[in-house]
Amino acid sequence: MWRFTAFEALLGPEDYNPDVTLPVHSSGAGRNAVARNARRSSRSRPAALKGRRGCERRAEGAMWGRLCGSGRILLLAGAARHCGRPHRTQKLFSTSSVLSATEDEPTAPTDSTTKVASKEGAAETPKQKLLKMIGDMKVEVTTKRKFQQLKEQEIKKQATNKQEGLHGGSSTFQNSAEDVQRSKPLNPELVQAASAVASSFPHNKEQAESELLAQLRRHEETTDKQRRGGTINICNVISEMTVKRQSPAQRGVRISNRISLEMDEDGQRIKPGRPSSHSDSGRSLKAGKRLNIFTKASPETENALKTVSSPTIWDLEFAKEIAAVTEQPPRNGFEEMIQWTKEGILWEFPIDNEAGMDDGAEFHEHIFLEKHLKDFPKQGPIRHFMELVICGLSKNPYLSVKQKIEHIEWFRNYFEEKKEFLQEI
Amino acid sequence: MAARRVGVSSWYRVLSLSRRCGRCSSTNTALGKTVENSEGAQEEIVLPRRKTWDKLAVLQTLASTVKRDPTAAHYMFHDDPYLMPKNSATARLFSLSKESGRNAAKYIIKEFPHFFDKILAEPNIPSLMPEICTPQIEGVSEEALRERINLRMVKASVDLFDQLLQAGTSISLETTNSLLDLLCFYGDGESTQEKESEEKEDLEESEVNASEQETPKRPPQRGSHPFASRWRENNNAERIFKIMPERNAHSYCTMIRGMVKHGASAKAYDMYTELLNDRHKADVHTFNALITAVPFLKDRFLERWELIKMFLNHMAQQEVQPNVQTFNAVLKTLRRCGGVGRSMAVPVIKEMEALEIEPSLATYDHLLSIFYRSADLASSGIISEVLDDVEKRSFTPQDPDDAKFFISAMQVCCDLKDIKLAYRLNKAVEKGDNWKFLDMDRLNSYWSRFFSLLCMMEQIDVVLKWYKEMSPSLFYPSPKNILDFLQALDAANHLEMIPSVWEDMKQLGFSKRRDLLEEVLSLMSRDQHPEEIQLAFAKCAEDIKTVHEQSGRDQASVEWTGSALGSVTVLFSRAGRTQDAWSMMERFQQINRIPTDLVMDEFLNCAKQTNSPDEAIKLVKLAASLGLPSSQKLKSRVEKEFKLSENQKKALESIQSDSDSSDSDSDSDRD
Repeated sequence: MWRFTAFEALLGPEDYNPDVTLPVHSSGAGRNAVARNARRSSRSRPAALKGRRGCERRAEGAMWGRLCGSGRILLLAGAARHCGRPHRTQKLFSTSSVLSATEDEPTAPTDSTTKVASKEGAAETPKQKLLKMIGDMKVEVTTKRKFQQLKEQEIKKQATNKQEGLHGGSSTFQNSAEDVQRSKPLNPELVQAASAVASSFPHNKEQAESELLAQLRRHEETTDKQRRGGTINICNVISEMTVKRQSPAQRGVRISNRISLEMDEDGQRIKPGRPSSHSDSGRSLKAGKRLNIFTKASPETENALKTVSSPTIWDLEFAKEIAAVTEQPPRNGFEEMIQWTKEGILWEFPIDNEAGMDDGAEFHEHIFLEKHLKDFPKQGPIRHFMELVICGLSKNPYLSVKQKIEHIEWFRNYFEEKKEFLQEI
Repeated sequence: MAARRVGVSSWYRVLSLSRRCGRCSSTNTALGKTVENSEGAQEEIVLPRRKTWDKLAVLQTLASTVKRDPTAAHYMFHDDPYLMPKNSATARLFSLSKESGRNAAKYIIKEFPHFFDKILAEPNIPSLMPEICTPQIEGVSEEALRERINLRMVKASVDLFDQLLQAGTSISLETTNSLLDLLCFYGDGESTQEKESEEKEDLEESEVNASEQETPKRPPQRGSHPFASRWRENNNAERIFKIMPERNAHSYCTMIRGMVKHGASAKAYDMYTELLNDRHKADVHTFNALITAVPFLKDRFLERWELIKMFLNHMAQQEVQPNVQTFNAVLKTLRRCGGVGRSMAVPVIKEMEALEIEPSLATYDHLLSIFYRSADLASSGIISEVLDDVEKRSFTPQDPDDAKFFISAMQVCCDLKDIKLAYRLNKAVEKGDNWKFLDMDRLNSYWSRFFSLLCMMEQIDVVLKWYKEMSPSLFYPSPKNILDFLQALDAANHLEMIPSVWEDMKQLGFSKRRDLLEEVLSLMSRDQHPEEIQLAFAKCAEDIKTVHEQSGRDQASVEWTGSALGSVTVLFSRAGRTQDAWSMMERFQQINRIPTDLVMDEFLNCAKQTNSPDEAIKLVKLAASLGLPSSQKLKSRVEKEFKLSENQKKALESIQSDSDSSDSDSDSDRD
């Protein structure tokens, strides 16, 4: 756990800032944030150092001794991860910022500078105020008005630049020769932090310091470059032009900008650098490969599958649920009557006089009754009588076909019985 | 022969009749044949079949003649004019209460059947009769068990099952499986009829919510409540499953589905491995359930996708054909897989295409949510492709999530600020029966989004047209809609419309919303308008004033704010209503607010126009008593611009001396 103590000592125990871990997962922009954090928190360095130098020297020496190249800052951040609670804050940050690269800057300084200011006194207050103001500007991002939002981002960006310029202007600690060479000076606190770290080295203090500063500057530069790349992207969004060519650096910054958006409902963060996010504009449902897992079933197998047993409660309820999706209350009286008809509580339309006495017979069976007269004599009074009977029956709507036939049957039997008498006559 | 001739002539009459109503195709073919035959030889006459009407045909034709009345509320509210909804909240309330009234009636009939003994009708109408919910078969037998399962009496079934088991009767696998179905569907054996009737109220609400018209004929369903009851350790389903002498695939499948449904995803997965160990095959529904459970089984996106792929591969191995719900489940899970979801969604769609499975609306809904989760992924590519597909087809419901599509699509249109897409979408909604996918709540939010978009992007006259067309009959504007509308009016310089919007606001019951009041007032008082409009505005302001002042009865009145007071005063002043304006001025003092310079200037102008120097002097007094720095300026204006009598001049002078003294209040009061 020596790493932990080293880090804590470097920052000062209460001064350590959970958002230090933010960049652990992210690339360019994030690294910039580490640098910034380091620079910010190390303001308290002199104070902390004075009291504790003795005990911490060994640990620090061991720590820095193991650092090399660009891994330094990351390792430093990695140490912070041991401190327990960074994850919540990390979430908070990434959801609130649309473009993490640009927006981290206005927000982050407020909290840490307040702490610092309490130590360093009144000298810092104007700057702190400005920082706060800039920080406050951020709040007004509405998702509703896109254009406005874009504009605000531009403003913020300017504000950020201004802020950095201010840092440079107000610095009184610029002492290294390198700063003059570069067009843009490093943040004084950072420089101070670096020198503080370097001063704790047993040998080669200056070399260590300049190495540190060079490394930090490299971060600063790449961030700047990538931030400018980010601006280009925003312009492209405004003019709704698709970007065909993108430099890897630009892509990197875009991805890191997106990282904050890759949060999901369960708070998971996907790994940065997944190339999926930048190709969204060109994505289409038409192009692409299929999964190639299934093969299309032949009709026979499909039919075979359909012969399932009786519906279970699952099937019934699913059907009900599906039906509920498009259930609508009736929109007018007729629709209400349709609904009632379906429920079976309304007379069916068109209303006819056969409702409820449906015997399934066709109309011709009711009307053409001649065929039932086969057994009667072909001519004579009985035939004549029967023709009159069926004529009457064919006009009678109240009897069913069966009853009509029974009626004719009765006459047939009757005449059969009376045959002898009739023949006598 | 005579008889035959009669027959034939009546036959011709029938023919001519059927020719007149030439709608039925079957008659037509028969008719063609007979005509031919009667012309030709004496062959057999083919008699036309009896024409059967669809029992709904007449009603459907009639219903199609009725168009929506844009000025009227929905038909379901027509019964009672007192119960006409004013806004979406009351509309929801009234529709729910109508449905719950129906359910209450059913409940009474069910609970107290002995009060309803005159239920015999001739002819009997079975659908009007109360349902039989008590088991008819007594005793302990498998028959009785089956009946109780069919009546969905969970507890009674379990009890009977145990009794049968104790008696040593063997129960067939089929019956046990259907008992498992019942238990798994309802989650647990403990849910009894009594508990159901307790739960009834909230269940019904949600049910009505899901579909206005669905009348629960059975005991309330838990289908819409995935979390109504959680899967408990060793519940009856598990117990029965364990003691089953033999199990088939169905037993496993229903257990898995029940576990997924009631939130025991990990158990479901274990059960699936057991099923595989027993060398059974799962069915497609089970796989669908398992796929929906994936987000609860794995935390990392890639692992989730791998698990989905594994299930799909298993399906292919077990020769289970996927259906549209399978792919919907996959996409629904991909919604929760971030970037992996975005990259895998297209292959999934392609797979569907290759299998010739038509996507349902839910498929598109999931797609939209995968690609448009964050508002800044601004490319309209996917949604316009989706709309291309949607426009081409007509949809029948296939997935419970189908209903969400139109709303989320409209939301995407809003996020993209793409009015053309929104119009296309709206066309698609109006096409065929698609409108049915929007129930009342959804309809409201759909239109309210659409309307906000219209306000933002459209010409004002188009907005007004839409507003007139849809306002009370399709949806009730939300307060935000009204704000958007006001802003649109402002942008188009149509502020003279505001009084009518105010009328609508009163109608909608928004007259006490402070944000809206402030917006209306500030828009009205911002610029000077022609006199006519100013008069209308002043009327409006008076209305707003009464809203602020009516107190007691049911609710607390709205508190005055300084800006609202100022605006009302300005409006009165501009309309030349000096007295009203002055009463507003006095109110400033009452509520300890300070009028702005603009307000006082306007008032002075008004006093000047109506030639009432008294009011002007009063104003100066007021300003002085409030100790405003502008009182000097006002005073000099009064002196210059008004013809003052001697007394008035004196009064004015006295104010001067008062305001010089540090404590002016008591002095000015004395005057």
